Amino acid sequence: MSHHYIQFSDVHYRYPGGVEALGGVTFRVTHGEKVALLGQNGAGKSTLLLHTDGLLLPTSGEVNVGDVPVRKSTLKLIRQTVGLVFQNPDDQLFMPTVADDVAFGPLNMGLPPGEVRRRVETSLAAVGASELADRPSFQLSGGQKRAVAIATVIAMEPDILVMDEPSANLDTGARRRLLDILHGFSHTMLVATHDLDLALELCPRAIVLDRGRVVADGSTAALLANRQLMQSTGMDIPASLLAYLRSLAPCIEG
Amino acid sequence: MSIQRALITLNSLENGTRGLAVDSRFQLTVTMLYLVAVLSVPLADPGMLVWMFVYPIVMAEASGTGYGRVLLRSLWVLPLAAVIGIFNPILDNSPAWHIGSVTVSAGWVTFISICLRGLLAVQAVLVLIYSTGFYALCTALQRMGLPAVLTTQLLMVYRYISVLLQESLSMSRARAARGFGRKNYPLQLWGVMVGQLLLRSVERARRVHNAMLARGFSGVLPAADPRPIRATDLLYLAGWTAVFALLRFVDISEILGNLINPVS
Repeated sequence: MSHHYIQFSDVHYRYPGGVEALGGVTFRVTHGEKVALLGQNGAGKSTLLLHTDGLLLPTSGEVNVGDVPVRKSTLKLIRQTVGLVFQNPDDQLFMPTVADDVAFGPLNMGLPPGEVRRRVETSLAAVGASELADRPSFQLSGGQKRAVAIATVIAMEPDILVMDEPSANLDTGARRRLLDILHGFSHTMLVATHDLDLALELCPRAIVLDRGRVVADGSTAALLANRQLMQSTGMDIPASLLAYLRSLAPCIEG
Repeated sequence: MSIQRALITLNSLENGTRGLAVDSRFQLTVTMLYLVAVLSVPLADPGMLVWMFVYPIVMAEASGTGYGRVLLRSLWVLPLAAVIGIFNPILDNSPAWHIGSVTVSAGWVTFISICLRGLLAVQAVLVLIYSTGFYALCTALQRMGLPAVLTTQLLMVYRYISVLLQESLSMSRARAARGFGRKNYPLQLWGVMVGQLLLRSVERARRVHNAMLARGFSGVLPAADPRPIRATDLLYLAGWTAVFALLRFVDISEILGNLINPVS
């Protein structure tokens, strides 16, 4: 099962307006790894995520998902392997009801009706949203929308789960439930987030992007505790980590 | 707020009441048959058209939509129908009916027929959309052989109305929040807002499209769960076909009249 990996090899991407969003990104997320993608607004996190699913193709360089290069001809296979959960669940949910929305991906894959029904049921159950099946998506709360958006993606049974800001706009309760759900997944995971506590709790490894380049790659706790790195990339050491570090060494400054 | 109300109405239309356990293809076929029956009634015979109201009334009630709602919405078509038939009373003065001492010209009779036809046709379509929902209707059209390009376009145009409404809702809220109760805005501001709305909708549509592509969308909307044809579907079709034939070819008014005043 070593083929569920994502490999970025010197990936450059320039938007049509001329802005360079990625300037030679290279990294590899191996099978079963949970990796956080960190960086301030405009660092290129969302652009990078769109490359994992072939929604953007590199201007130069190559993205590989498993042994398959991400190209126009391989998109169908890539999109079955990589499940992309978007930043705004309102963009992801567009069908009349929650069940229709969850069924959308499996139906596009051409699965038989019985299998589609099974996947709708199991993926809604996996995110604790079975009772929402017949509700129209736009009437759901923020936390429910997020859970359903994740269900729409896991219904396609992807090997790799890629998420853009999964905890954005969630209250503490909904955020906790989301974390519990994500802890339960065994997928290879790449999560772009500003929620450094979530990164610390969920992902043992982190990649820090700054102006379209990878500036650090390593243990999440070590990177987040690196004051110089945090300051140079416009981030703060998370309060929970700071408190922990202080408890270890009381001389650490705020 | 009116935009919010529109969103909710739009969504209820999309889902339909699902009050009828009949396949949407059969509901669509029955509606088509009904339209043929209504349009084939001669313009000189509005009495027969009045009997045709049976279908929208029964269906609106059976599907849980409520006839009042359908009637209210269908009234919007009256001005249009009136414009189409407005010259009939002027051009055709030959006497057609005598009601007491009043003579009604043939022009007025055909004018009434045109208005009734308009009402009936719109009511039938409204009942269909209310009871099946737009989504089921589009997939029914697809399964009946209409090219997927057309049905998907139809559904997507319909879907994006809500995107447009949501964007205009957030914009009008933002404006109201800093408008301090102001009601009138200069034309220039409206121009800017419409431009903004277009740009925002295009951007939003692009993101929704990305989300669809990420889940394997290939330009054709997948038909949800093809249900096998059941006996109730066939019964529904046969029953209404018989009723339409009866209403169209048998003069029920005359039969009822004969019942009330038996010939001695």
